[in-house]
Amino acid sequence: MVKLKFLRFLFIGLLFSLIVFGCKEKTEKSALPKLGSPAIDFNCQDLKGEHWTLDKLRGKIVLLRFWADWCPYCRYEMPIIDKYYRKLNKEGFLVLAFNVKQSAQVALAFTAQLDISFPVPLDSDGTIAKKYGVYAIPTNFLIDRQGIIREILIGEVFREEKPLRDLLKNYFPSL
Amino acid sequence: MLIPRISQTAKYFPLVLTVLLSLLIFLKTFELWGQGRPSDQLLNFKGQKLSIQWDSLTKSPLVIRAIESNLLEIKNFSKLSRKEITHTGPLLVNKYKSLLQIEPDQLRLKGAEKISDTWYVSYWQTFQGIIIYESSLGYSIDSQGRIKSLGALLYPHVKAPLTSKVSHEEALRIGQAQIKDFKKLRCILLAESVLIYPVKKKSSIDYYRVYAFNFFPQEALHPASVVGGWAVFVDTQTGKVVLHEELLKPLGCCIPEDWVPPKLEDLKPKW
Repeated sequence: MVKLKFLRFLFIGLLFSLIVFGCKEKTEKSALPKLGSPAIDFNCQDLKGEHWTLDKLRGKIVLLRFWADWCPYCRYEMPIIDKYYRKLNKEGFLVLAFNVKQSAQVALAFTAQLDISFPVPLDSDGTIAKKYGVYAIPTNFLIDRQGIIREILIGEVFREEKPLRDLLKNYFPSL
Repeated sequence: MLIPRISQTAKYFPLVLTVLLSLLIFLKTFELWGQGRPSDQLLNFKGQKLSIQWDSLTKSPLVIRAIESNLLEIKNFSKLSRKEITHTGPLLVNKYKSLLQIEPDQLRLKGAEKISDTWYVSYWQTFQGIIIYESSLGYSIDSQGRIKSLGALLYPHVKAPLTSKVSHEEALRIGQAQIKDFKKLRCILLAESVLIYPVKKKSSIDYYRVYAFNFFPQEALHPASVVGGWAVFVDTQTGKVVLHEELLKPLGCCIPEDWVPPKLEDLKPKW
């Protein structure tokens, strides 16, 4: 009888620890993925209703970008990125610019203001940003044709054309 | 005789399940858009062909594109000063007032920047001089002075309190109380403002007049820090917290080696 009580006590204790430590782990911020590691999968929909998963990006050079309309730095990089997207899209350059934690209406108005042509998926609850360890915006990930993360760029880096052109030159020698 | 009849019913079970699942996916897809997808419309507006995407809740245009024409064409554009360029917003609102359903004097400049040969201009919408959270109207002007389209998130029929019942000090105390370990984290008030905060419901919008606070822990000011801050909106009428969310950090640049802490007034708030 005493043994049974002890086991019950142990079981409750274990369960309690699991809940406490399990929750703690969930609230911690996830880290950025390592360079050279495979891109993390996602499932989302863009402003035109198109579905996007990692599989769809295979064979393309992808700039995965996280932004929000209240971030002034995000705004002025967009036209420069769009210029290169229009130029290189047919050669296999894709931009997926995730709007983080805002509504479709906010994202649509913003993209129309800047006349952006690349796909803008919605990360409404920030799940994808969290998966990618994003803690600041804008954050950009450059993914190669094999789905490997080759660059992680945090903050405003494409305010001028040169950094983006230099980055893409490695993959598109015609530039 | 009963057994075969049960098997017959069971035969349709996967089909019913598939239909139900498809319905669920369909509904979930529309949920992404909050109030459903914006609808497109081709319109003849005073003899001009326009393509418009409407916000089904605010009944206001999200996007207006001119077809085979321009929304606005500014003469002698290359000679205009920056200040004169920022006056194009009210001109545009005046021209399309019946569609946008706001007054030109409701605009407040958010930003105007020249990238390559194009100007990008954006505004907030105000209500009685107070900025409406996440509202916007913006467009690009090409080197010829042409505006071909605009994007907007406007609230035509705002009903919000004109004064505050809760004092600023009380609201700040309520806001600070939302942050766990406020003192221990050496939190600072990075930005504050009074805003109109629209909360969208299924078929209506509630407008709160709020004290908006952005709090940041001191160490979060370093660009290498992964610690973000918090936005807390306190209702000016009841003192209730209507928004409390963790902030992502807006970063102006990569981390320079000779980094020095920024002046607080130089840091941008979330709105």
